[in-house]
Amino acid sequence: MVEFDVMAGNKAVAYGVKLSRVEVIPVYPITPQTTIVEYIGNFVANGELKAEYIQAEGEHTAMGMAIGASLGGARTFTASSSHGLAYMHECIAQAPAYRTPIVMAVANRTLGWYWSIGADYSDIMPELNLGWLVLMAESNQECLDTVIQLYRIAEDSRILLPAMLSLDGFYLSYSFEKVLIPEQEAVDEFLPPYVAKYPVDPIVSDIWPASFVPSAPQTTYRRLFEEVLGDAKKVIEDVDAEFGKTFGRDYGGLLEEYRSEGAEAVLVTMGSMTTAARRAVDRLRDEGQRIGLVKLRSLRPFPTEEFRRIAERVDAIGVVDRMVLHGTGGGGAFADLKSALYSLSERPKLLNFIAGMGGEDVPVEDFMVMGKKTLRAVEKNNVEREIEFVEHAPPPSPEPVAVGKKMPIYPASGACAGCGASIILRNILDVLGLNTTIINPPSCSTVNYPSQVAVPWVLANFAAGAGYATGIYRAYRVKGKAGKINVMIFSGDGGTVDIGLQALSGAAERGEPLIWICYDNEAYMNTGAQRSGSTPLFTNTTSTPVGRLLRGKHEQRKNMPLIMAAHRIPYIATASIAYLPDLRRKVKKAAEIAASGRGLAYVHIQQPCATGWYFPEEKTVEVARLAVMTGAWPLLEIEDGKLKINVKLKDLRPIGEYLNLQGRFRHLTGGEVDEIQKEVTHLWDSWLELEKKENLPWY
Amino acid sequence: MVTLKRESFEVKGLILRGGKDVGGLNVASWRIFKPVVEADKCRRCWLCVMYCPEGAVTEGEQSAIIDLRFCKGCSICANECPAKAIEMVKEE
Repeated sequence: MVEFDVMAGNKAVAYGVKLSRVEVIPVYPITPQTTIVEYIGNFVANGELKAEYIQAEGEHTAMGMAIGASLGGARTFTASSSHGLAYMHECIAQAPAYRTPIVMAVANRTLGWYWSIGADYSDIMPELNLGWLVLMAESNQECLDTVIQLYRIAEDSRILLPAMLSLDGFYLSYSFEKVLIPEQEAVDEFLPPYVAKYPVDPIVSDIWPASFVPSAPQTTYRRLFEEVLGDAKKVIEDVDAEFGKTFGRDYGGLLEEYRSEGAEAVLVTMGSMTTAARRAVDRLRDEGQRIGLVKLRSLRPFPTEEFRRIAERVDAIGVVDRMVLHGTGGGGAFADLKSALYSLSERPKLLNFIAGMGGEDVPVEDFMVMGKKTLRAVEKNNVEREIEFVEHAPPPSPEPVAVGKKMPIYPASGACAGCGASIILRNILDVLGLNTTIINPPSCSTVNYPSQVAVPWVLANFAAGAGYATGIYRAYRVKGKAGKINVMIFSGDGGTVDIGLQALSGAAERGEPLIWICYDNEAYMNTGAQRSGSTPLFTNTTSTPVGRLLRGKHEQRKNMPLIMAAHRIPYIATASIAYLPDLRRKVKKAAEIAASGRGLAYVHIQQPCATGWYFPEEKTVEVARLAVMTGAWPLLEIEDGKLKINVKLKDLRPIGEYLNLQGRFRHLTGGEVDEIQKEVTHLWDSWLELEKKENLPWY
Repeated sequence: MVTLKRESFEVKGLILRGGKDVGGLNVASWRIFKPVVEADKCRRCWLCVMYCPEGAVTEGEQSAIIDLRFCKGCSICANECPAKAIEMVKEE
């Protein structure tokens, strides 16, 4: 009997990965993709999937790992969205030439502009023309099935190209549907193990894929790639048909026609919106209108010939695009279709509807209007408006509560009740005052505080916090305002110790006089608590879950104060919300040092997070206090190379007192607590040793 | 969470933030328990003012004053108060 479950699209993708017996899975969290890799993490932790599962420190590295793993001969999967996908871009461009059949799920989300976590295709748009196959899914079932299909297609030696599965963020990624789970034996038979033809492996092969060829044959190879992508059309159709025979479900290969028999007009849709468009077509057909629907499944390779055959039968086509090619006036699929049909001697009327950008819902009623407008073009034998943006008025925003005075930050925010980051930010801004510019790499704070502050709040791209801040500082300096405005980066641990570290290190080395505040909640909390380079040993996170085989995070956290000290910057401090006078003094000191122009001042503040650490919210400060009293979070500062431990207890409290308060450590055995205790004591003793020195010797 | 938007009059399509569009946020509906200060127990140490994640507590003449429009009922103030002068009471 076929098993089924009601599951989110992201879980369906994870099942597709598990059933495909993927061997290497490099990942990095970003909404709305993250739960794909969380579900996979659980499969790995419980021994249900035997795979190398690696959380990278950024997407650029994750795609590098994926290419490396595929070159090494392993079946490889990764997933991303939006800015994460864009950060991979350089590596994505390299994968086709190496002929690495990676499968990547993209949970669509808008890219850049006005940030949103809602779906549109502006994220896959820049990746479409690099040589990857791109298939669009309409349902959660199609997500699972397409992952399996894509491995068959991508690994076919006639193709051997990387492939993207595009699923709409939220509409599929987080929405629940009934999904049939194929039997493992049947999938094994459909999808044999991957055997790389030319692995980068000196034991089995002395030849490997090239990365560089001279100019002359480059044009030739572009032609060959187009031929391979053309060949892929037949493989996509054949694999879908065979899948249908084996599992009882197929998706039309490159495109699916719905109620298009005898139609004088068709709408063209992609992804999850197709379902609403089907209902609109049903209603219009009930009204006697001769309209049908084409669901574009294979965006790359684009089904040019198939569309030409449809165009010969209908008088008008309305393309619904969740993708704008800015500067061309219209949408991406529209441009593709228009160019595909140009060489026909008789062409149907073409209309383009731009709808659903940034995740805006496109209801059935809108599709009915679009359908009628397309039919009217047939009736009038004229296109009144070629490209139309389908727009709706925004919902009303709540009015801010006036408090009668200008403050750097106003009361309350959208943050969780008992949020430690709120305590940190309020105290910092109270010290720094109104002459402050905040630069903020994406984090929980990005969501919660920009509408609460009266000082400029600049959202930076994740890896570029120090870049944005340096630029702003240099602009101030060239305008004669150096030292007059606090340039403060407010960054989480991911934006500091992982993806942001390269830019931070560069700014520190160049001596940029910035105030860097790291509020460290010891995981990626904005995406639901994945491990970071600052997550402590054995922590249960959603990407280092506790399961039958794994016991949480298996690595030690980075020692950030010492990493910063290696740059010989003038000021480094750690701080705690349980010791606010000490925290405020350190922020003031950091501001003075930055204002003097002597270099970067770095303050690293632990931020207990009730939501991600699993403790009652009233204990936020209590947990922070115990972190200091047990030595888990030593309070120290390094000023011009002189280390001072600020809170030195005669005896550290046992680490268990700190760990026991938190659900993220609930699974620990006595032996594991002892191991953490040993590590904490060892680090504490090391700090004591360093403090005895006149100066850190390299300063 | 709150998206307050204002379009520039001079630059088409540019959305601005700041000025009158920012201010306090009414979060009273988040609360299950509300803090009640017992004025005669308050030692005016103002730890609650510093620790309140919402900036909802201010220094009063006699004791701490909590603006309940901005209070989510997290209970950090009650948990940290050295005089045990704040009691959490279930909202009606």
